[in-house]
Amino acid sequence: MVPALASRLLGRRGTDTLEAREFWAVEDVSFSVRPGEAVGIIGANGAGKSTILKLLTRILRPTQGRCGIRGRVGALIEIAAGFHQDLTGAENIFLQGCIMGMTRRQIAARFDDIVAFSELADFIDTPVKRYSSGMNARLGFSIAAHMSPDVLVVDEVLAVGDWRFQKKAFDRIGEMVGRGLPVVIVSHQLERIASLCTECLLLDRGRIVMRGLPDDCISEYVTKGIQTQQHAKEDLPFRVNALDVEPRGALQSGQWITVRLRGEVTAPAGPHHRLGLRVRALQSSQIVSVVDLTAQEPRLLEPGAFEITVELQLNTGKGYFSIETPMWNTQERRELGQGPHALTRVDVAAFSGVTNLHPRVHVVTHPPLKDRELRSA
Amino acid sequence: MEPNPGSLADATHVWHDATSGDVTDDWMPSSEHDRSVAHDLREIVRDELWPYRGLIYEFVRRDIRVRYKQSVLGFAWAVLTPTLIVLAGVLVRYAMAYVGGQTLTLEDLAGIAVKAVPWSFFAGALGFATTSLVSQANLVTKIYFPREVLPLSSTLAQTFDSGIAGLTLLIAFGVLGVHYGMATLWAPALVACTFLLTAGLALLVSCANLFFRDVKYLVQVALTFGIFFTPVFFEPQMFGSVGARIMMLNPLAPLMEGIRLSVVFNHNLLDDMLVVGRTGAVLVWSPWYLAYSAAWAVLMFVAGLVLFHRAEPKFAEYV
Repeated sequence: MVPALASRLLGRRGTDTLEAREFWAVEDVSFSVRPGEAVGIIGANGAGKSTILKLLTRILRPTQGRCGIRGRVGALIEIAAGFHQDLTGAENIFLQGCIMGMTRRQIAARFDDIVAFSELADFIDTPVKRYSSGMNARLGFSIAAHMSPDVLVVDEVLAVGDWRFQKKAFDRIGEMVGRGLPVVIVSHQLERIASLCTECLLLDRGRIVMRGLPDDCISEYVTKGIQTQQHAKEDLPFRVNALDVEPRGALQSGQWITVRLRGEVTAPAGPHHRLGLRVRALQSSQIVSVVDLTAQEPRLLEPGAFEITVELQLNTGKGYFSIETPMWNTQERRELGQGPHALTRVDVAAFSGVTNLHPRVHVVTHPPLKDRELRSA
Repeated sequence: MEPNPGSLADATHVWHDATSGDVTDDWMPSSEHDRSVAHDLREIVRDELWPYRGLIYEFVRRDIRVRYKQSVLGFAWAVLTPTLIVLAGVLVRYAMAYVGGQTLTLEDLAGIAVKAVPWSFFAGALGFATTSLVSQANLVTKIYFPREVLPLSSTLAQTFDSGIAGLTLLIAFGVLGVHYGMATLWAPALVACTFLLTAGLALLVSCANLFFRDVKYLVQVALTFGIFFTPVFFEPQMFGSVGARIMMLNPLAPLMEGIRLSVVFNHNLLDDMLVVGRTGAVLVWSPWYLAYSAAWAVLMFVAGLVLFHRAEPKFAEYV
């Protein structure tokens, strides 16, 4: 470190070669975001997503290349970082607002709005060390949300906070996106990325693996991510070569989809082997439904190639659903492995909840009490 | 969304890149030239200090408020350290006077008191500034603002504290009968030099502590013993002619002595001053001493700003 520091202090150019055990946290990444565009960056942990945000917000400097933002940056990255524990909420509003780049006059003008949005009016004069983490998040987000930035950069800041606050926060971000603010979002909440972003970048170990529409990138991310875990340790009785879902794109709840599987039954398939089709909600990992294909069609246990078509009605709520092809052994009662996955997204649902129970509501009304009393009288 | 931002051409855009701060529109890697000090200084003042002056003010407010919140002594803290230094000094001088067969005069005590304030400013500012970056590492790694703000606001907060102490002192002097004169007007200039010197050192020391965490211990040790190598308790002429000159090599020494001579003795700092001692006449003061310290102050401040600025891109990685 000392020689590198010394040469830097003397104003010389830094070196580009890597030493042993060093690696490029972000490599060969280039993108631009214009007003009206919202870019989502997704990828596994350690892929370099937060590093990109830090490069954008000038916390880190690129070793090679250049990056920059024109205009004021609203960084929803660490919204309570500037809070000093001994100061009150009101004092911290001014402090944090100043750190983020607003002037005192601007903060004073928006002070009431900030307090109102955070719903902390009763506690605004208590020292921040008495706040819960949710209160911290609310206050921090409220300050950042009133910054009127030119560009918005969002990290996983909304992981803290109750559901109501998260919804409020994302609605606010969505509002800013709707106004045409260029936004860069890093999140693991894939549904949010899908609903907010116009473009998506998929990162893996510092490099851009894919860029395009959010649905495509998310499909790629999810299916690749799952497949990397799936190196079969034993020979599977079934081999699924292709899995297709029609129609593609965002679907409506209640819509019928067709899932096509093509593959072959390999020799070790026996009567206790099962091939299934499983629909799982991505975010919660909840299993929505499992279809036992071998039970429905016993011919699947005979060796040879097969082509299966399954029609499903997606009576689910909104979100991403992965369609999986598990195989299991009923005798040993365990799952042997999985074949390929596909991803579908339900965008429109006329109800809220996990599944649509198709309620049919009948109400019988009684005449008002007063009339009955009069009649009996 | 294409990867080429070549069309983002107009008006002010803030590109920050790996080497020089030059704003260019071509996509070639930035030029290979080394950066000059003048260029860096311009960048620091234009892009960092001036636009963020509101933030510096806000941080100073925060530091001051936090020092006095939930404390039992409150603003008495501001005068506590100087008072302790004065008491220690009185102890030392009393012993020296006893041994030397002289008596302590009001001028002697006033001399110590008037030097205690700038020394406690120096020691306090450096003490707090050393850890200003590391103790707020969360700010350094999460939010962008020019990091100079942290040690500078720490130094300014200490200036406020010492200002209170200084004011108290001046009032006390007036009450005790120390006569002020025209030469007292040298004091603000000396205070300004002390501030520049301290601020420059604060920047250097906070930056160094970020990379090498034992710097704060080195600073503590240096400050603990530095008070003996700086003429706070005593005067340089007590070391004889040669000893006095050696002592005045310490950049703080002329500032301390200058404050004492101008405030307590109403001595015009543009004139030499000789004192007749046991071994003959000793040159106590020369205007060259003032020039020496002023040069040190400016140099230290510029060096602090530039070196801090150059090391700053690496802060988030090493903190």
